[in-house]
Amino acid sequence: MNTIVCAKQVLDPEIPPARFKIDPEAKQVIPPPGVPPVISVYDERAVEAACRLKDKHNGKITVLSMGSEKAADVIKHAISMGADDGFLLQDPAFEDLDSFGTAHVLAKAIQKIGGYDLVLCGRQAADWGAGQVGSILAEMLGIPVVTLACDVQAEDKTLRIKRLVSDGYEVLQAPMPCLVTVSTEIGMPRLPAGVRLMMVRKKQIPIWNAQDLGAEPAQLDKTKAHMEITGLSVPTRKTECELITGSTPGEAAANLALEIAKLI
Amino acid sequence: MSPVGATYWGIPGYVIFWALFAIAFGLFLQRVYFLYRLMRLGKQENRFGRIGERVGGMLVETVSQWCSLKTVTPKDRAGIGHALVFWCFCLFFVGYIIFIGLAGGFGLAPLIARTPFETAYSSILDVAAVLVTLALIVAAIRRYVLRPQRLVPSAEAAIILLMIFSLMVLHVLGEAFDLAARGVHASWPPLGAALAGFLSRSGLSQGTLEASYRGVWWLHYLVILGFLVYVPRSKHLHILASFVNAFFRPLGPRLALAPIALEEQETFGVSKIQDFTWKDLLDLYACAVCGRCHVNCPAQLSGKSLSPREFIRSLKEHLLEAGPGLLARQTGTSSVSQAETQTDTPTKTPLKTMIGDVVTEEEIWACTTCGACQEVCPVNIEHVRKIIDLRRNLVLTQEKMPETARAMLRNMQSRGHPWAGIQSLRLRGDWTSDLGLRILAEGDSANTLFWVGCTGALVERNVVATLSMTRVLKAAGVDFAVLGESEACCGDPARRAGYEFQFQIMAEQNIETLKSHNVREIIASCPHCYNTIRNEYPRYGGDFKVVHYSQLIADLVSHGKLRLTNELSSRLTYHDPCYLGRYNSIYLEPRQVLQAIPGTKLEEMERSRNTSFCCGGGGGHMWIEEQPGTTKINQMRLADVLKTGAETVVTACPYCLQMFEESIEHKGIGDSLKARDLVEVVEAAMTQSRLD
Repeated sequence: MNTIVCAKQVLDPEIPPARFKIDPEAKQVIPPPGVPPVISVYDERAVEAACRLKDKHNGKITVLSMGSEKAADVIKHAISMGADDGFLLQDPAFEDLDSFGTAHVLAKAIQKIGGYDLVLCGRQAADWGAGQVGSILAEMLGIPVVTLACDVQAEDKTLRIKRLVSDGYEVLQAPMPCLVTVSTEIGMPRLPAGVRLMMVRKKQIPIWNAQDLGAEPAQLDKTKAHMEITGLSVPTRKTECELITGSTPGEAAANLALEIAKLI
Repeated sequence: MSPVGATYWGIPGYVIFWALFAIAFGLFLQRVYFLYRLMRLGKQENRFGRIGERVGGMLVETVSQWCSLKTVTPKDRAGIGHALVFWCFCLFFVGYIIFIGLAGGFGLAPLIARTPFETAYSSILDVAAVLVTLALIVAAIRRYVLRPQRLVPSAEAAIILLMIFSLMVLHVLGEAFDLAARGVHASWPPLGAALAGFLSRSGLSQGTLEASYRGVWWLHYLVILGFLVYVPRSKHLHILASFVNAFFRPLGPRLALAPIALEEQETFGVSKIQDFTWKDLLDLYACAVCGRCHVNCPAQLSGKSLSPREFIRSLKEHLLEAGPGLLARQTGTSSVSQAETQTDTPTKTPLKTMIGDVVTEEEIWACTTCGACQEVCPVNIEHVRKIIDLRRNLVLTQEKMPETARAMLRNMQSRGHPWAGIQSLRLRGDWTSDLGLRILAEGDSANTLFWVGCTGALVERNVVATLSMTRVLKAAGVDFAVLGESEACCGDPARRAGYEFQFQIMAEQNIETLKSHNVREIIASCPHCYNTIRNEYPRYGGDFKVVHYSQLIADLVSHGKLRLTNELSSRLTYHDPCYLGRYNSIYLEPRQVLQAIPGTKLEEMERSRNTSFCCGGGGGHMWIEEQPGTTKINQMRLADVLKTGAETVVTACPYCLQMFEESIEHKGIGDSLKARDLVEVVEAAMTQSRLD
């Protein structure tokens, strides 16, 4: 089966919160110096899901990433995990697109590749966390979508997907081709190992621009964007800490229980 | 007439002598050839370079018995006993060739018997026999009464002790009956002559004495042959294999690891016994299960399941068990018919899986690669690289590793360094902001580079030492630059955790960066970086002059460029980092620096220098969680520090520093004991009067 995975490069979410800085005027995040960007954690799970399907059913995995030249690292990372090929979607017109614009570019690229059975995305990006691209993309491609998958299995021409719900999961069946967004619950991504890790370094990732894709200028027009950022701020969090004490641990626990009782 | 000259049941003694010899020697050769074939199941490895050095080293090490004497401590003097037995064994070996082989088997008795040489040599052997017997008694008491931790009671040991003892007794008895039968009254050889005098007075008939002499002689011969047959079939194989192993010992950097060839392979590292190299298998033969490694291994002493002794022993057992089947399969494809081998296999018990049944994953991950096992091993066994080879298989092929190891390796792969998350309070490049340091930009050149290392750049506590370092270097007028953001991890944690390709990528990337700035000299502050850049990068084309800062500071102090004038009235102890000490033999310089500071009193820990005890942070263990339910290694090391009564424990490694900080905090003794990097102490001696 042929799978296409969409993966985004994001600022390393593991930096200490104190290091996270924004420019409120430009409504942009300031990349911290010396911290390399990484593949969005959810998208890495999508790659993992694709690799697991490939382990069982063979086939081909193609990775798409839209972003700067550095985003080629995301594709290389996916290839070192087990993907076969990848394309970098890069064009000045692609910068700062909203979810609809992004989905349009991805849809064009997916149609250009063609012959796919499954499109996988992360449930949301680890930076903005909108979680829209997957669903919009499916709509544009005219294929079914299942979100929040924690397990994807393929049987013949159908997919069996465990989808997260608030108190567990539901099992859904979808015909292929189909789009699935993957959640972290699918499990840890594999550690890229073996020779792939070495080989991928020298691999050239082909770049597709707006013209290559035949993207429609109207869809890339930022003045007609569906989303507008009106303000950007780092949430301030205030913590008040009251230390509950007691002469014995038992007394301290009783005092704590009394305090909690006051709150509920 | 010599016992061989006589005729027994119509058969000439010579025939019996040589027939017995042929049988015994045949059995000996058969086993040795079998072991050789098993060894050749291993992969190729070239250990044939520098032959002269190999022969020389082997002889010096074994003849002088430095191999066993180097491990003698006030608590463990067994090495002296071994040396005695070895030297006496050599004397007996020569004695057997002359008195039994030449005099007996070749009929040269008339030339040798009753000569002053015979008397003199026999006298020497008498003394040797006494010494050996004493050593045997001590050995027996140790094994069966005192039972030190490092020895496992075994039947093999008892058999060999009895065998050697009987050889000693038979030697003296043979002498005595010979002298008594000949009616010689002499005072040399002392034991034989004394006993002969007793026999002569006992009123035994001449015939009895002669018959007894023959009986004793043949029995003696039989025991010697028995020894020859038994040795290669027991752990005493080390008598042979340790010589060979000393010859093939590693000659390059200590505890070096071999790179994995970059080919499309299905599996990497070692998962089956035949994946090891022949040298690794030879190591197994050399092991005498003396257990010195067992009692020096921080993993074992802290209660983890790994014991280097049991590790090697299990591998040897596995080789002997699985080897014959592998040999049959090897020849099966050529000579034995396919059908035969196929019908054979189902009846046999299924082969053990090496990782799991022979060595557990837990054991493989418990090693801190501190090298204490190899340091004390008298027979040059290389434990650490075997463990790393197994890790390579787990990581690169099976993708099995502790979650904490996986997290670290993922960081190495995606972030270029092992630290992530809340620990990286300061980020690479950040600490340099207001120091006026020369940070190399693209196209810049610098002769001397200060290689900061990830830990020194990213972890808050270690950044303090790094800042100290830059001030000390500046005060001494050292002209240096730093890489800042473009410095990636040296790759050591990845390599020691078996993630070999990531290490190779980092090595190549760093070498490229260093070369692009025309760097010639590197000052490393972390011993792991030091070891990696100095000893491992040359293989990837990175030839730089690398110094550890302790060497540099010692040099600056001795040349008067750095004046340590302030008196620090403090009791210090110095902890040798494994990768500085055992890996690179830098023991002296840090101590010289500390002793150059007025007012300091340097107390040594019991386990120091080459027998230093690991802090617990090596081999990727800064990030890999210690097995639950075991003692933490850094707490054990802290106990060593506390025994010295020192107020400050000084080290020269960022991992060790963190490990001490953690154990001191855990014990809640931060008021009475401080952990300091050597460079912090140096800076204090330059600028302030107290170490705080």
